Amino acid sequence: MTQMEDQEKQLEFALASVQKQGVHMKMCLDKNKLMEALKHASAMLAELRTSLLSPKSYYELFMKVTNELCYLDLYLVEEFERGRKVDDLYQIIQYAGNIVPRLYLLITVGLVYIKTNTNLKRDLLKDLVEMCRGVQHPLRGLFLRHYLLQCSKNVLPDIPDNEETEHPEGTVRDSIDFILMNFAEMNKLWVRMQHQGHSREKERREKEREELKILVGTNLVRLSHLDSITLDKYRKLHKKLIQCSIKVNNPKFEPVQQKFHLLCYPFVMWKQHLQVVLPGILEQIVSCRDAIAQEYLMECIIQVFPDEFHLYTLNVFLKSCCELQPSVNVKTIVILMINRLTIFTFHNSNASEVKLFEVLTEQIANIIQSRDLPLEDTVSLQAAMVGLALKCYPDNLDYVDKSLQTISDTFAKRKIEKISHKNPVSRELMALMKLPIDNYNDLLLVMKLKHFPEIIEYFDYTGRKTIAIYLLQNAVQCRTMIPSVEQTEIVLTMVSPLVKDQPDQPVGEEDPEDFAEEQSLLGRFVHHMKADEPDLQFKILMAEREHFSLGGNKRICYTLPPLVFQAYQLALIYSGKRKEDELWEKKCRKIFQFCHQTILELTKAELAELPLRLFLQGALTISQINFKNYETVAYEFYSQAFTLYEEEISESKCQLAAIILLIGTFEKINCFDEENAEPVRTQCALAASKLLKKPDQCRAVAISSHLFWSAQNNVGQPLQDGKRVMDCLKKCVRITKQCMEVSVQVQLFVELLNYYVYFYERGNNNVSVDILNQLIGQIKKEITGLTANEETEQITKHFENTIAYLQNRIESADTEDSVFKALEGLML
Amino acid sequence: MLQTFFGLGQTAELEIILDRPDGKKKLDESSKKDQSLIYYDGETVSGRVNVILKKSSSRLEHQGIKVEFIGQIEMYYDRGNHHEFTSLVKELARPGEMLQNTSYNFEFLNVEKPYETYTGSNVRLRYFLRVTVIRRIYDIVKEMDIIVHTLSSYPDMNNSIKMEVGIEDCLHIEFEYNKCKYHLKDVIVGKIYFLLVRIKIKHMEIAIIKRETTGSGPNTFNENETIAKYEIMDGAPVRGESIPIRVFLAGYDLTPTMRDVNKRFSVRYFLNLVLMDEEDRRYFKQQEITLWRKGEKHLKGMQNRNEPSHLVSGKDGPKGSEAPRTTSQSVQPSGSLDNTDSENDHNHSPMNEGDDEQIRSSIEDSTSE
Repeated sequence: MTQMEDQEKQLEFALASVQKQGVHMKMCLDKNKLMEALKHASAMLAELRTSLLSPKSYYELFMKVTNELCYLDLYLVEEFERGRKVDDLYQIIQYAGNIVPRLYLLITVGLVYIKTNTNLKRDLLKDLVEMCRGVQHPLRGLFLRHYLLQCSKNVLPDIPDNEETEHPEGTVRDSIDFILMNFAEMNKLWVRMQHQGHSREKERREKEREELKILVGTNLVRLSHLDSITLDKYRKLHKKLIQCSIKVNNPKFEPVQQKFHLLCYPFVMWKQHLQVVLPGILEQIVSCRDAIAQEYLMECIIQVFPDEFHLYTLNVFLKSCCELQPSVNVKTIVILMINRLTIFTFHNSNASEVKLFEVLTEQIANIIQSRDLPLEDTVSLQAAMVGLALKCYPDNLDYVDKSLQTISDTFAKRKIEKISHKNPVSRELMALMKLPIDNYNDLLLVMKLKHFPEIIEYFDYTGRKTIAIYLLQNAVQCRTMIPSVEQTEIVLTMVSPLVKDQPDQPVGEEDPEDFAEEQSLLGRFVHHMKADEPDLQFKILMAEREHFSLGGNKRICYTLPPLVFQAYQLALIYSGKRKEDELWEKKCRKIFQFCHQTILELTKAELAELPLRLFLQGALTISQINFKNYETVAYEFYSQAFTLYEEEISESKCQLAAIILLIGTFEKINCFDEENAEPVRTQCALAASKLLKKPDQCRAVAISSHLFWSAQNNVGQPLQDGKRVMDCLKKCVRITKQCMEVSVQVQLFVELLNYYVYFYERGNNNVSVDILNQLIGQIKKEITGLTANEETEQITKHFENTIAYLQNRIESADTEDSVFKALEGLML
Repeated sequence: MLQTFFGLGQTAELEIILDRPDGKKKLDESSKKDQSLIYYDGETVSGRVNVILKKSSSRLEHQGIKVEFIGQIEMYYDRGNHHEFTSLVKELARPGEMLQNTSYNFEFLNVEKPYETYTGSNVRLRYFLRVTVIRRIYDIVKEMDIIVHTLSSYPDMNNSIKMEVGIEDCLHIEFEYNKCKYHLKDVIVGKIYFLLVRIKIKHMEIAIIKRETTGSGPNTFNENETIAKYEIMDGAPVRGESIPIRVFLAGYDLTPTMRDVNKRFSVRYFLNLVLMDEEDRRYFKQQEITLWRKGEKHLKGMQNRNEPSHLVSGKDGPKGSEAPRTTSQSVQPSGSLDNTDSENDHNHSPMNEGDDEQIRSSIEDSTSE
């Protein structure tokens, strides 16, 4: 038979017997045969003497038995209330030879006496809790005392104890003593379970103890339900220790004790327990020297008693934490407490009279010192403290800083230099570091924590980088602006794993996508380092560049461009302030010098397209700001860009894109005089025609035609050189004809047709109907020969749309509108 | 004459009717069969004897009528030999003839009844009245038992019994019973304090043992009877535990302690503290207690009562003839237990101590009891 089946069978037998005896008991009670009924009750209770049941099964049996006992209780209360009191019942039931049934009966009957005569309450309660000592078997004792606690639930005196008046029915003091004693005894029994039986069954025993812990904890719950337990009562030692023991000899109380022969001697022992709630509980917890019990019960205290009590008893509570067994996870307990108090203090402003943070700091220091906590626990304790400080004292940065300092000191003391991200300490510390970031949502406040950067240094590369990212994400999300050079320096130092290579950086490639994402974040953050004052802003930019320059080729492409853009913006700001700041021109010049240098740094990093674009953007910006010699500067920028195009860009696709950019930009720049402009225009057209592929050449040259038409000179006049436009377009037609593929040819022709139409509309007289007709005819001729596919379909559509456009314009053309009127001769 | 000789003559039935001076009838509650009256030492035993003739026509001839008050001890193994320790006679009628039913009053004034009625397993102590109509051939006899209770006043000295006992490196306990002398309706209150526990105790009980000793010298015979077994602890305690004891005596069939009654027998009581371990070994310690009968309130004022010397009197204490006791009890008044930790206040009796079998060990490991 397996153990399980055996258990079930044993339980079944026991339950059957209880059922049988219970029925007999009830029948006897119904016939008013009390003595007979008690005999059956006793027989029923004898089942609880078993040693064969597991805690679970025993519990089931206990429930069944106590359920049956209710009937007896109801019967007796009713009889007593009707005045049919059975003389000496309390004595009679004590003749039961076996202690377990006897004590269950004693409790049942004792409670009947209490319910029907409250004057007996105090003495009977003491007697019951004292007599229960006779059961030293852990399981049976625990359940017996649980029964006592359960029965006494609603009768525990809850009257405040007044020193003047006597309460024979007892005061809350008696309840406290009662529960504390029961608690102490139950805890002893519970702890004792651990030391029984074979050591190989340790695991099973611990599981069983786990199942029973609630029985012990119920004592604390009961205490917490006594309304008359005030804060004072909870925390202070009892003043009237001696008087209490004198009371025993008080003749006034003797009759009761004599009548019931209640135990008198144990009052000596009671004295030991006459402490007020918390010290009493703590003493018991500490002295039981059992890790499981200590951990559970400390948590119990935190859970069941009001937070206000905790607030005022922190010292005592935490001092006890120092004394717990080494294997107790004190950290969890303390953190639980801190978290409770955090929430409480947060919601109760009047709680501030207790110097919570100071008290906790001191006590935690004691705990750390006395217990040799693992480092990660020390850190997570401080994390809880930081949480408290942030939540309850948001204005007091010193508190957070103090915790950080504590950690820093601890590390120093333990000679710790770096913490691997794989180390649990790192995990806890990371959680701590994120707290101020998340709570302040303000990087500037975080930076005010003096010890924050110091702690960052303890992380290894991965850790530091994680924090850096976290900091920047927060700043970007919260739009935090960094307004000074000093702060810029601090931030960039804090996030230095993103800014530059680290000495402890692991060798090997990082994930390129991750890297790009990190750097982009940093790039976004550049826009957050911004002072209102332009001069200051410039200094910030300088400082930034100093940092970013150290980032190496792989980083600067992310960090410098936003910097350059920031600089351009700054130049525009100075330009706007030209009336206020007489040095504005000089400053602008300086800015562009700065930009020039910065962009050159990018070119040194073997980048071409990016600096090209930046130069062009610079040239554009300069052209908008009319400062002294700005033409020269713009020309420098533009020529730098052109040089980059010529020297660095070799791939045809890139070349095309670059030349289009160059042309487009030049078309917008209007600061060059003819002397500078003409060579550039020619160069651009030339460069366009020098592209490798014919279609590229064609398109680039076509675009360059704009340079001769809409581009403005330095006096703001568009060039409108119709002839040179036509030259360009003609050249395009020539190039197109050189294309081998028919579909490409047609496509280019259609595009060119659009150019012609465009310039025609703009009033370029050189475009004639003939030319257009010629082109349209050409297209029409070729287009029919195209094999139908997706590409040709698109070309056809493009052409059709162009024709439709023209038709539309012609038809809707006003008679006055000579431009389109003149196109009537088109062969559409 | 012949008729009388063959029993055909007149005969009579005797009836004894007792009357109490205070008019109250008190019956022995314990034995419900013969509901005898209870008398105390020094109380007058008086009443009436009715002689009822069986044949109303003839007369009864007799050589005299007497009533006797007898106290005697009977040993069961020696049926024929009864020892009378008290024998009083009153003559009710001189020799003569009786013609009709006749009643005679009698009175034994302030009779000394030194011992308590007792029925044990080997010995009986009884008091009875015997009326005898003396005749030539056979007497007409009627006997009637009365119950005698000997009362004691509250003992002046009633110390607690307190002792530390143990088996070296195995088990050390200190036990305490609140008194050494208990009246029959009393309650034993005490505690067991565990100083050292290295064995796996299963449970602990207190037994009340009655020891009846009969005979003397080499013929001394002891009969032990366990009157009550009372479990006071379940499971194994650890060092420092203190287990309460509370035993109500009223429910058990007990008599007062009797020491050396008429040099013929003794009845003594012991509390036997027994600890059982998980291997079912028993460890026990016997401790004698003295039981006494407490007087009812209305009798308390009674003067001139002879104090029986074998009972707890308070004046004499244990008599010199007793075996020396192994324990000298603490001299403290019970109730003030606060100072008990001072060394002088209790004795420590080591294991295997003891001089005779009654008290052969302090706590003894034995497999049989």
